[in-house]
Amino acid sequence: MSGPVSGSLALRLGGLALVVVFFQIGVVSEVPVFGVNADLTPLLVAFVGLLCGSTVGAAIGFAVGLLVDLALVQTLGLTSLIFTLIGYWCGRLRELRDPQAALTPLVVGAVAATVSLVGYSLMEFMLGVEAPVSFELLRLIVLGVLVDTIVALPMWALTRRTLESALPDDPRRRRSRRAYTTGGLSPLSKP
Amino acid sequence: MLALLVVLSLLLLTAYFGESPNGRLHAVQRDFLTVVSPLQDGANKALKPVRDLFGWFGATLHAKSQRNELLKQVDKLRAQLVAQQAEKRTNGQLLALFHLDQLGVNDYHPVTAEVFSKTPNIWYSTVTIDKGESSGVRVNDPVINGEGLIGKVAEAASDGAVVDLITDSSMGVMARIGSSSATGLLRPKVGEPNDLVIEYLPAGSPEVSGEYVVTSGTVAPPPYESLYPPGLMIGQVISGSEENGYESVNVRPIANLHDLDIVQVLTSAAGSQPANLSRLAASLPAGQTSATTTGEQLASTQVGG
Repeated sequence: MSGPVSGSLALRLGGLALVVVFFQIGVVSEVPVFGVNADLTPLLVAFVGLLCGSTVGAAIGFAVGLLVDLALVQTLGLTSLIFTLIGYWCGRLRELRDPQAALTPLVVGAVAATVSLVGYSLMEFMLGVEAPVSFELLRLIVLGVLVDTIVALPMWALTRRTLESALPDDPRRRRSRRAYTTGGLSPLSKP
Repeated sequence: MLALLVVLSLLLLTAYFGESPNGRLHAVQRDFLTVVSPLQDGANKALKPVRDLFGWFGATLHAKSQRNELLKQVDKLRAQLVAQQAEKRTNGQLLALFHLDQLGVNDYHPVTAEVFSKTPNIWYSTVTIDKGESSGVRVNDPVINGEGLIGKVAEAASDGAVVDLITDSSMGVMARIGSSSATGLLRPKVGEPNDLVIEYLPAGSPEVSGEYVVTSGTVAPPPYESLYPPGLMIGQVISGSEENGYESVNVRPIANLHDLDIVQVLTSAAGSQPANLSRLAASLPAGQTSATTTGEQLASTQVGG
């Protein structure tokens, strides 16, 4: 989707971003699973990119990152940078390949969580962390990716359900749907 | 579009990292915190049942093992209590005799606050509380709960504040091991949320597994006083190792930092010694040290060098 964003879509994106960020901070962050917390925010950014394209993906990534950094009083710009790239790459994936497999959200969610956790750690190393860093960090990153992958499907369902009716009709998707329902042939070619 | 947003993020990052804690971007974050604090507080109260439901499963699984462990600890502590009551009496008499001018918890005014959010990532261990400058909370005030020291105030807005937990990568606390005189800088191990470490203890320092670790208070002459009053419980020694002529001790925090609801901020009256110390520490630019620095920052410099 490279055209202008409709008012309805912008409103839904803003509302969804606010709800997910505050739900993350207020609930998800306080419920450890296997010793780590799920992070819904990179999943939201990735799925918005996958549904709306690279421009909207990058913009929502920047906005969600900024909101997270402001709300949690973290280094401003760090999460924005990582989420912008996640949103953009997921948007490009949709624009170039438009994957329709059922497991696509699972894979995209896992990759987004990996990029988020590894990217954040690399940036922290580059900015100079003062405390001693343990190899246990690797285990936490792997567990974090695993937990995020588990919640990727419900998060995908929520994002798609919220945004789908406000998305403009995509001729390419319509074509692929029609091809699927007619077994890949035009109805005119049927006997 | 991508290039614009990436450049904007990098500009924010550079400006934020380079400015002092009193800079413009930090002020924007404090203002944002002031605006969203009531919202977060409301959301936190509304969503508490959901959180409790999820938390109940984990808590039940650990309850039995914790119970057995705690019963053993009660027996051990009862014996220690008897011995320490006698020691306390002697210690009180000695303090009066030598007029030791240590900061105690009585020099502070505890402000009770409720925790309403927690940082989700593995690099930052912070919580946000519902009391701020309007209640006397200032940057660098120590924060405790019923179990012991949990951190210090990192940012304070008018009706909310962010607390760096003792497991946050930016924290360092001067600590003492049990009854010994061995003191050192207690720091977190990034990536191990249940592990703290005291490094660079002189070789041969007595280190006993299970020994309690408390804040040492001030161990250096002015102006290197510690931000934390002495004797606050921090954790328990779990293991030790020796390397290059120095000893390192691994410490497990006593407080359950995953389940914080109510905490107390040890605020201090304007002009008092704790308040002056906090103000001095807060005025230092990020990532720099100066000749006038607190005990924790001095120790950080020595360790880093």
